[in-house]
Amino acid sequence: MSICSSIPLPLRRPERKVATRQRLVDRTRYLCERQGFLRLRTADVARAARLSHGAVFVHFPTREALLREVAGDLGRAITDRLYEQVEGGAALPTVLQAHLAALAERETLYRHLLIEGPLLSDDFRLVWIGVQSAVAHHIGDAARAAMAAGTIRPMTLSLLIATWVGLVHHYCVNRDLLVAADPVLAARGGELVEHFMALVTPTEGVR
Amino acid sequence: MTHSSCINCGMPLRAAPDHAAGDPAKTYCATCARPDGSMKSYDEVHAGMTAFLVATQGMNRSVAASMATTMLATKPAWADTRR
Repeated sequence: MSICSSIPLPLRRPERKVATRQRLVDRTRYLCERQGFLRLRTADVARAARLSHGAVFVHFPTREALLREVAGDLGRAITDRLYEQVEGGAALPTVLQAHLAALAERETLYRHLLIEGPLLSDDFRLVWIGVQSAVAHHIGDAARAAMAAGTIRPMTLSLLIATWVGLVHHYCVNRDLLVAADPVLAARGGELVEHFMALVTPTEGVR
Repeated sequence: MTHSSCINCGMPLRAAPDHAAGDPAKTYCATCARPDGSMKSYDEVHAGMTAFLVATQGMNRSVAASMATTMLATKPAWADTRR
C-alpha cells in the first residue's frame, strides 16, 4: 500500500465550511453547558474553536444567531428523542418517563435554557414553546385516553401538564440541592413519575 | 436523525400514519388535513395551533394567537404569508 493512501485528503472548500460551522456550534454548546447562554462571548467561542474572532461572524452574523442555532439543536434533539420513545397509544407513565429520558440526556443545557429563557430574545421563546408543545402533545394524548378510561381523575388538561412540567422544572433548577452530582432527572426521575401518578389516580371511596 | 416535517405545522413525519391520509407522499400531517385529505388553510391551522396552546399550556388566548403567527411564519407552507 502506498504511503499516500494513508494520508487523508484535505476537505474541499464547501466541506471545510460545513465542518468549521459545526465546530463553532459544538464549541458554543460546550461553553453554554458550562456557563449558560447569557454569559457566552463570541471571543471565547473563537478561542475554543481555534479560529479568529472574525471567522465566527463569517458563519453566524451575530452572537444571537449562534446561540439560536445551539438552542434550536437542543430543541430538536429533545423532541426527536421524545418522538422516538413514544408509540401511539402509550400509557401516561410511559410518556412521562420518555419525557424525563429526553431531558436527562441534555439536562445541563436544558437547565440553562429554563433559567435564562425569559431573559433571552423572543427567538428563544419559540424554541422553548416548540419543546413544550411536543411534550404537551404526547402527555395530552395519553392523559385524555386515561381520563376516558377512568384510570386518572378528570381535570383541566393544561393544569395537569403544568403540574407535571412544574415538578420536572423544579428538580432541574434546584438539582444542586437534590443530588450530590449531576444529573438529577436520571437519579430521581422515578420518584417524580410515582408521585405524579399518585396525584392523578382516583382513590377508591374518596370523593 | 433525519426525517421530514409537516410543511404546515412542523410536526415530525416519521411513518405513514403521521402523513395526511396515511400517504407518505403528502408533505403535511394528519392533523393539518381536512376530512377529504386536502391541506387546511392558514386560518384553519392558525386557529388549531392557537387552541392547542391554550388547551395544553394554559396560554392567554391573544398570546397564543401571536405565538401561532410567529411559529407558522417559520414553516415552509407559510413563509411568505404576511399577517
